[in-house]
Amino acid sequence: MALIDRLQRVSDTIWEIPPTAKAGMRVPARIFATERLVREMDQAVYEQITNVATLPGITGYAFCMPDGHSGYGFPIGGVAAMDVEQGGVISPGGIGFDINCGMRLVVTGLTYEEVKPHLRRLVDRLFERIPAGVGSTGFLKLSRQEFRRVVEEGARWCVEHGYGWPEDLELTEEGGCIAGADAGKISERAVDRGFNQIGTLGSGNHYLEVQVARPENVFDAKLAAAFGITLPDQVVVMFHCGSRGFGHQVATDYLQTFLRVMESKYGIRILDRELACAPFDSPEGRDYFAAMKCGINMSYANRQVILHRIREVFQEVFGRPAEALGLRMVYDVAHNTAKLETHLVDGRPRRLLVHRKGATRAFGPGMDGLPARYRETGQPVIIGGSMETGSYLLVGVPQGAQAFYTTAHGSGRTMSRTQARRQWRGEKLQKELEARGIYVRTASWSGLAEEAGAAYKNIDDVVEATELAGLSRRVVRFVPIGNIKG
Amino acid sequence: MAPRTPLTLITGPLGAGKTTLLRHVLEVVPRRLAVVMNEFGEIAIDSRVIEGKHVRLAELAGGCVCCTLIGEFAAAVTELLDTADPELIVVETTGLAEPEALVFDVAERLERVRLDGVVAVADADMLARFPELGHTTRLQLEAADLIVLNKRDLVSPETLGAVTARLEALNPHAPVVATERSRVDPELLFGLDRRRPPAPPHAVHAPEFEAWSHAPGGPLDRACFTALADRLEAHGVYRAKGFVRFPEGSALFNYVRGRWDLEPFPDQDTVLVFIGRQGRLDRTGLAAALEACRRP
Repeated sequence: MALIDRLQRVSDTIWEIPPTAKAGMRVPARIFATERLVREMDQAVYEQITNVATLPGITGYAFCMPDGHSGYGFPIGGVAAMDVEQGGVISPGGIGFDINCGMRLVVTGLTYEEVKPHLRRLVDRLFERIPAGVGSTGFLKLSRQEFRRVVEEGARWCVEHGYGWPEDLELTEEGGCIAGADAGKISERAVDRGFNQIGTLGSGNHYLEVQVARPENVFDAKLAAAFGITLPDQVVVMFHCGSRGFGHQVATDYLQTFLRVMESKYGIRILDRELACAPFDSPEGRDYFAAMKCGINMSYANRQVILHRIREVFQEVFGRPAEALGLRMVYDVAHNTAKLETHLVDGRPRRLLVHRKGATRAFGPGMDGLPARYRETGQPVIIGGSMETGSYLLVGVPQGAQAFYTTAHGSGRTMSRTQARRQWRGEKLQKELEARGIYVRTASWSGLAEEAGAAYKNIDDVVEATELAGLSRRVVRFVPIGNIKG
Repeated sequence: MAPRTPLTLITGPLGAGKTTLLRHVLEVVPRRLAVVMNEFGEIAIDSRVIEGKHVRLAELAGGCVCCTLIGEFAAAVTELLDTADPELIVVETTGLAEPEALVFDVAERLERVRLDGVVAVADADMLARFPELGHTTRLQLEAADLIVLNKRDLVSPETLGAVTARLEALNPHAPVVATERSRVDPELLFGLDRRRPPAPPHAVHAPEFEAWSHAPGGPLDRACFTALADRLEAHGVYRAKGFVRFPEGSALFNYVRGRWDLEPFPDQDTVLVFIGRQGRLDRTGLAAALEACRRP
């Protein structure tokens, strides 16, 4: 029987495939989605999420978020928590190659009316000052030795060297520096690929957007105010990028290591080679964890330096200091990570390695690990939509415990990059967007075509599904007015 | 317009033998190759490295160059053509990459190169050990014109047969050639290029394949020949290459797995080589079809 026929409706937004559906499943697979979204998912998602359910140590469920689509080994949108005291594994395919790829949201004290006359210049200058594209290199000239420090110290290194404000660190997950990163566990190749990429957006779906919070798109004014959205038509800057070639190389290195030892040394048999893994509590597993944390820190540093550049450009264009322009961070949260967290399972606290690949951590109110100012409200969650349709600020909720406090990360593709390229031409798309009031600059026309709004699931549907399922709640929806595409 | 430079993409999962295949190609192909690698450290140790804007080049013995991208793919290829002027370009994609976007770039957006083929390297042992293919691996194999089934020495003949059958079911258009250490006859990998076209081969050094060359005298009718090119798969042809003389001028012909092109080439008589799977190459039918295209 095809896996889709084994799908059971648990509620309007929760779907389950029981462990009897596939040999080796240790837990059921759960997909959070409206009926329409679950039916639209490609079949490979069902295969992949049930494969994930067979991994050693998996606890509770193998989850898939409403924006899930097939990826390397795990689906993008996959969540798997492994009990590290019960032989749980760590798997690069469950984290993604762009380690700690994530979103950062910055508010301004400016309204759309104030920004509008300067929009073109603002976007042009941002495009000139923040390198984008496949092989782009950053303005930060680091030696290989300094780079090794950066990957151990993350955004903290940047702030100490003048690229940012101390409060930026408080408003970054892990304070912008995850403990336990060890540059002794990364390869020279990884250093080669990363040391000149700090402060670059990269390519693919990475971008920087200037957006507006229209009053009609504020769903919860009190929470919005707590997050810094207080003005009508307030302008914000949202950007999406990760650890560039560095994270990719770290993942590649350890995938190869895991393939060598997984079966021969640890007797782990898996269904799909792309799920290569090692026990978390093994020399290889711990080495990867320490190397992966370098990827996490590299990406915090990358986004921190980009924020510094954004502030410089706003200062230049508006002729006032960044402090006076109110360029304050809301939050920085990643959606490609694995972290050790304590969660209650059947009423007992357990140490779990929570893999979130294309899925965002969404801690509810009162949880440890939140910045003091968000302790009461719950964690801000930043969801990037396609460049045409808009993006969201959400908040973590108490019911999020059902999925280890995780929600979606974006809209998820509905068509392949090639299909999108056949359908749209970047040059034409740019003109159409400009006519609609969105000024776009890109490093690659074909890359722009890949990111056409209609190539993605409707972000409103995805976000609504997370709210109905009790994973997160809407606070503000932003609409784009300017975009830089990698 | 000058004939375009052929570009071959090499794809396949991690550890299957892509870099080994590149080493083999550099060793046995007597042409000036440009090899684009994820990391050239493995091949180009101790070479002189030239930092370009979009590519970093290392010169190898025999005029070949090895390069890694530091810019966008399209810009890097253009820079490579301008600086190294290679006869053939071979691009290794990462084991984690889905090849489709790159195939699209080469086939439809790069005007100075011709997509000569997509070669997927697979690992017979790994394929036998894991029941599911994996999403990315599947996309890589589906995109292939030729599948190099490497590490045949690590599995039994029965397993090799089963794995081959599985690959053929997944991608019925791509022949599967079993190898050790990625040693595959380059005649299967590459078509003819515009520079020093070598004599068409009389044999292909792979037991799974046979080659047949044919030189029908006199010019061929273009419409008749292009109609035949569209039907070559039905005649059991995997790859074809050579020259064709039409009444209005001669051309360089390259064909792989249903995709073909003709580029003007000065003054050549028709001589073509057809490569197909052993026992499936329809020589009689091809000879008759070519005969029917002859113009007095």
